[in-house]
Amino acid sequence: MRRGKILAIKWGMNPNSSSLGVDVTFLLVGATVLAAVTPVIGALLRWRRAVPVEPPVEPAAR
Amino acid sequence: MSVLTTLRTLGTLAVRGVETALAAAARVRQARQHPPRRARLERFGAILQLTVPRALVFVDREFARRALAVDRPAIWAGPETGLGDAPLSAPLEAHLQLTNRCDAGCQGCYTGASPDGAPGEWGLAEWMRAIDQLADAGVFHVALGGGESTVLPWLGELADHARRRGIVPNLTTSGLSNLERLLAISDRFGQINVSLDGLGATYARVRGFDGFARADAAIRALRRVKREIGINVVVTRHNFEELDRLFGYAAERRLSEVELLRFKPAGRGARAYAELRCSDAQHRGFLPAVLAAARRHAVRVKVDCSYTPMLAHHRPDRALLAELAVYGCTGGDFLVGAKPGGQLTACSFAGPAPPAAPGGDRPRVTDLARYWAAPGAFGAFRSWRDAREPCASCDYHALCRGGCRVVSTHTAADATAPDPECPRVVDAAARRHLPVVG
Repeated sequence: MRRGKILAIKWGMNPNSSSLGVDVTFLLVGATVLAAVTPVIGALLRWRRAVPVEPPVEPAAR
Repeated sequence: MSVLTTLRTLGTLAVRGVETALAAAARVRQARQHPPRRARLERFGAILQLTVPRALVFVDREFARRALAVDRPAIWAGPETGLGDAPLSAPLEAHLQLTNRCDAGCQGCYTGASPDGAPGEWGLAEWMRAIDQLADAGVFHVALGGGESTVLPWLGELADHARRRGIVPNLTTSGLSNLERLLAISDRFGQINVSLDGLGATYARVRGFDGFARADAAIRALRRVKREIGINVVVTRHNFEELDRLFGYAAERRLSEVELLRFKPAGRGARAYAELRCSDAQHRGFLPAVLAAARRHAVRVKVDCSYTPMLAHHRPDRALLAELAVYGCTGGDFLVGAKPGGQLTACSFAGPAPPAAPGGDRPRVTDLARYWAAPGAFGAFRSWRDAREPCASCDYHALCRGGCRVVSTHTAADATAPDPECPRVVDAAARRHLPVVG
């Protein structure tokens, strides 16, 4: 059965009130390390108790 | 590596490990008291928030279906899209310029802050309403700043309100004033970064006054009470060569991160832009210099969205960039800004967003839900898909999105123009001026 996929991970928080900061530390170690870390993140998310999403999001008109 | 060096390195790593674990435990306790928003549905699936480690995780529908108690939500009525195919259902974060008051007078201030501030600045009540609207829309974080927002006696109260509404507040400060007030409320913020554009004399050269000692004192004081302290560094041609030393400083002060910001032509920065912006050679050398410094000093590094063209110049693995959510301009998509009077902007460097309808009023941040999906919302910030060459054929265009709209507006007088400082754009312009040989 398909388990679904992590599309992207935006690490950390951005305190910078002017620009959107992105963590590029992983560029130091490359895709291999990220490939090892991603399943751990997936496991953490799957392990969490599922709760309803609040509030329900209506589809925005495009 | 000598035995002594090895032992020293292991010791440093051990200390950092313990500090990180303690900080994570504190975040878990805080999250139990005021749970942050855990998830938000999107047409591609969902965005899930983790507290430990701190991350926003973008997942497809199948993953979301298993991780959340959802089956067939209304937002999934249509076909499943890819991440980046369309704007998000709401921003991830909002950058709130709570005030334009500041006594520092930095020569490159992107907001033109002054002791008098801006006309019609909002107070606590208005900003609390804004936080409510943002929370209802599904925003995860707010980045609070100014001017200098620590001059506001209600800053801690606003941070508390954000927490109660499930939004994590983060803060940028100059560290030059109101330190005692900030220390007393520092635990209410997820991350606090102090602006530090150079060490010693370099700080004065970039900012126009000697404030390094005060900023350093604030950094040390904050670090004594909180682990999640970093520095924001606006990179100019005068401090570029000092980047390695700045990372060394961050390591010495045991800071959690260095965030590098490209100098922007906004506010007083527009007047100083030609003198302070980095050279083309510095832009091309940015990524190797930054990664070398981060590796050497073992400090986490973040770069602002406007640097993505400079990252793309070195042709990193596109899939890796996508998996790290390294995008260029996501103004009016991943982020929005708000001016001191509540005016909604695509990002903090941009002017107020255009009205939703011709002749209408410009939106305020409290109009976000109504404005977000309006045709033409955020103008040029959302029209990056219509980019012309050399962006249109660039392998990194879907990530970079044409570079910085604010730089394009200032330098090319056209918000839709390719970022004129992107190395690819610079090279294309140079080729156009080459004489024809034949």
